[in-house]
Amino acid sequence: MNTDDLIATLAADAAPVPRGAVWGRWSLAVLLALAVSVAAMMAALGVRPDMHHAMRTSPFWMKTGYTLTLGLAGLLLVERAGRPGVRLGWGLALAAAALAVIAGLASHELMALPRSAWHADMMGDSAQVCPWRILAISAPVFLIVMLTLRRMAPTRPAIAGAAAGLLASGLGATVYGMHCTETAAAFTALWYTLGMALWPVVGALIGRLTLRW
Amino acid sequence: MGAASLNGLVFRLARTDGGIGKVTSDVKGGVAGVEPRLKALMLKGLDGDRAAQAELLSQLSRYLRAYFARRLGRDATDVEDLVQEALLAVHLKRASYDRGQPFTPWAYGVARYKLLDHFRRVGSRAETPLEDADALFAADDAAPREARRDLGRLLGSLPERQRNLVLDVKITGLSIEEASAKSGMSASAVKVSIHRAVQAMARRVRDEHG
Repeated sequence: MNTDDLIATLAADAAPVPRGAVWGRWSLAVLLALAVSVAAMMAALGVRPDMHHAMRTSPFWMKTGYTLTLGLAGLLLVERAGRPGVRLGWGLALAAAALAVIAGLASHELMALPRSAWHADMMGDSAQVCPWRILAISAPVFLIVMLTLRRMAPTRPAIAGAAAGLLASGLGATVYGMHCTETAAAFTALWYTLGMALWPVVGALIGRLTLRW
Repeated sequence: MGAASLNGLVFRLARTDGGIGKVTSDVKGGVAGVEPRLKALMLKGLDGDRAAQAELLSQLSRYLRAYFARRLGRDATDVEDLVQEALLAVHLKRASYDRGQPFTPWAYGVARYKLLDHFRRVGSRAETPLEDADALFAADDAAPREARRDLGRLLGSLPERQRNLVLDVKITGLSIEEASAKSGMSASAVKVSIHRAVQAMARRVRDEHG
């Protein structure tokens, strides 16, 4: 087939592309991922019994704000990384700001406590399970996000994979926050961050192989 | 490195002599005029204008040919394969273009990605510097070479109705409506058939990457 014939065939296939098609796909992916991870969390762990009360406390919103901001940063990055020829924009700065804020809150909290109370503050009651659960709840989100990304055109696959991991982890950790009753900023800064670190690393490593087009 | 750049120089000299293909600096308005011209075509294509999409792909193919030839070297036999691959990518991934952004960086991003992918596949260590999008639009070359990969053979393996439709639309240049009337299929069925054929071609290209 010569190139002119190919062009004619492709042009015959040129259906209209709706405006905002990319954001439409991402919105769908995020909604689907949220539904799956909320269902998984509720089936396996359950929403914390004092949810109504917790929603009126600042630690709950501190955790939610932190994880959701990282998820949003991941979404901004992955949307850009899926398009050739555009800059990555503010996503990275947003993620860095979220990390800086949680680190600041955690140190502020620890400074107000006697040194002997630090260990208990950082470990809470669930340090051993928290990162693993975040990892597990983020897994289906990661899968959905990577499948969506494959339909885009990521020219920087490692960055795109890492951004996909950040979006997945941010959403997964936010959903886990509806179960987890920990209140300490130091706990969040340590164990939530650890739980959210794996998928971005995995995404960066497998991006080159799985995001080819 | 010395031999390579000497080779590049000889290549440029040969090309300006008109030895290979037809090389002109740019048809209308220089590199600066490329962006508005191609973007206008892309926007029309995204709105479903098939003639604009054909014109866009046709103009892009010339830039791609010159760009890949420059990067692969004079004797490269896979320039036309890469051109076709990049055209398929431009077409299949066009939804990833943001109408609010400049078009040429998007096209350059696709072309460079396909070039990197090619180098990785053949195990070449050739460098692909990240340049300005103008690198793709600095020269054009309207003379197609022989493609090694025969996408046309793939059409032969499609179901007969699908194949005939694609042949009607691409060789005879029938419109979707004319092809629909001739085949007795609905216009949307014609579109689906053509889309399947394009998907099959894309699959063939992917599979050959192994």
